[in-house]
Amino acid sequence: MEKLFDMALLIMQGAAVTLEIFVITLALSLPLGGLAALGRLSSIRPLRYLMEFYVWIMRGTPLMLQLLFVYFALPMVGLMLPDIAAALLAFTLNYAAYFAEIFRAGIQAIPRGQFEAARVLGLPHWHTIKRIVFPQVLRIVLPPISNETINLVKDTSLIYILAMNDLLRVARTIVQREFDMTPFIIAGAFYLAMTAVLTWGFKRLEAYYGKYDA
Amino acid sequence: MASTMLELTNIHKAFGDNQVLRGIDLVVDKGEVLAVLGPSGSGKSTMLRCINHLETIDKGTIDIKGRRLVEDGVYVDEKTQHEILAATGMVFQQFNLFPHMTVLENLIEAPTYVKGLSRDEAVAIAVDLLKKVGLADRQDSYPARLSGGQQQRVAIARALAMQPDIMLFDEPTSALDPELTGEVLKTMRELAEEHMTMVVVTHEMAFAREASSRVIFMAGGVIVEENEPQEFFNNPKEERTRAFLRNML
Repeated sequence: MEKLFDMALLIMQGAAVTLEIFVITLALSLPLGGLAALGRLSSIRPLRYLMEFYVWIMRGTPLMLQLLFVYFALPMVGLMLPDIAAALLAFTLNYAAYFAEIFRAGIQAIPRGQFEAARVLGLPHWHTIKRIVFPQVLRIVLPPISNETINLVKDTSLIYILAMNDLLRVARTIVQREFDMTPFIIAGAFYLAMTAVLTWGFKRLEAYYGKYDA
Repeated sequence: MASTMLELTNIHKAFGDNQVLRGIDLVVDKGEVLAVLGPSGSGKSTMLRCINHLETIDKGTIDIKGRRLVEDGVYVDEKTQHEILAATGMVFQQFNLFPHMTVLENLIEAPTYVKGLSRDEAVAIAVDLLKKVGLADRQDSYPARLSGGQQQRVAIARALAMQPDIMLFDEPTSALDPELTGEVLKTMRELAEEHMTMVVVTHEMAFAREASSRVIFMAGGVIVEENEPQEFFNNPKEERTRAFLRNML
């Protein structure tokens, strides 16, 4: 029993690393994704193409490759990043691209009539974006954002290849040392707990922003 | 002597190679209810949308309440446009209510933000208007909970909440089931009886015949015929008008 407790304690330290990566990546990639979406919808053509290129690269190559690239290739050109910063950079760039696509679809789903109705009432453009468009976009993008966010929880486990002691790597280390599968089960329970909290949270958000549905 | 509310002079508008309006001249006096008829593609909705600059005209001049919005295709500055267009209200075919706001919130958003009314003042106006369109009991409903006819009446109330001098209606009953058009038309008739100046693009011949003070018939981007409703329906002069009326009645 005590052994189990010690294992859980070690794994909890790994979970803290996982959580850190998760929270910071989410906090950075959501606003960045929003900006990239505006860039993709911009009337400035070079900006639009640049954002399309960025999204293509990030979605078109494995996240694992992107992690390795930031971790191993950037130091070769003289850009040394601390481990955690390298991981955060790769995760943020990758997830921002996915979020950008979700936001873009959300904005494009708002009927033109909404903009026109606001305009004939004399509402200024930025007020229309803030009060009329944004709440409706939020409603549309919540389910796919929820999906990606849950993916991120699990994708954080990829950093084990960067030799960082996240949840999965700690569990694996114990398994290899003790020849005991319990740590994997504990790690699985941690992932499930995190995704359960997220699922519940997003459900609440969806209910709140969907209260106007018939 | 009726004062002029709206004057369009030689309006031209093209979408790419498609010349939609080919020289529209139109004067609407205060208190007039103008019905705009015509086959689809005749440019009637585009003309309406040009009046409040939802579409930008290529050529021509528009005056609203004696103020110039655009002269020979050149618009006045944005701020002045805003002031001039505050005299217009619009009702759309698809209602375009804000779905995430209650009926009351839909009605007070612009009066509080644009006109700077206090919430209490805006609510008082909104409640009066909802009574008028027969929806006083639905002020806390979200639009999705209302029938199409109710939504369109809310949309009319929302436009009226800004206290416009001219109301523009873009096929206000075309998206409605036949049994729901009556309630919207009734609201529009009441508005007409209060001498609101109205420009109504419509396929409702009965409304044009009974509630309008003048009818214009458009085809191919021009006004083909223009008359008082009785004369227009009983004694159409142009062959294109006669062909259209034969199909519609």
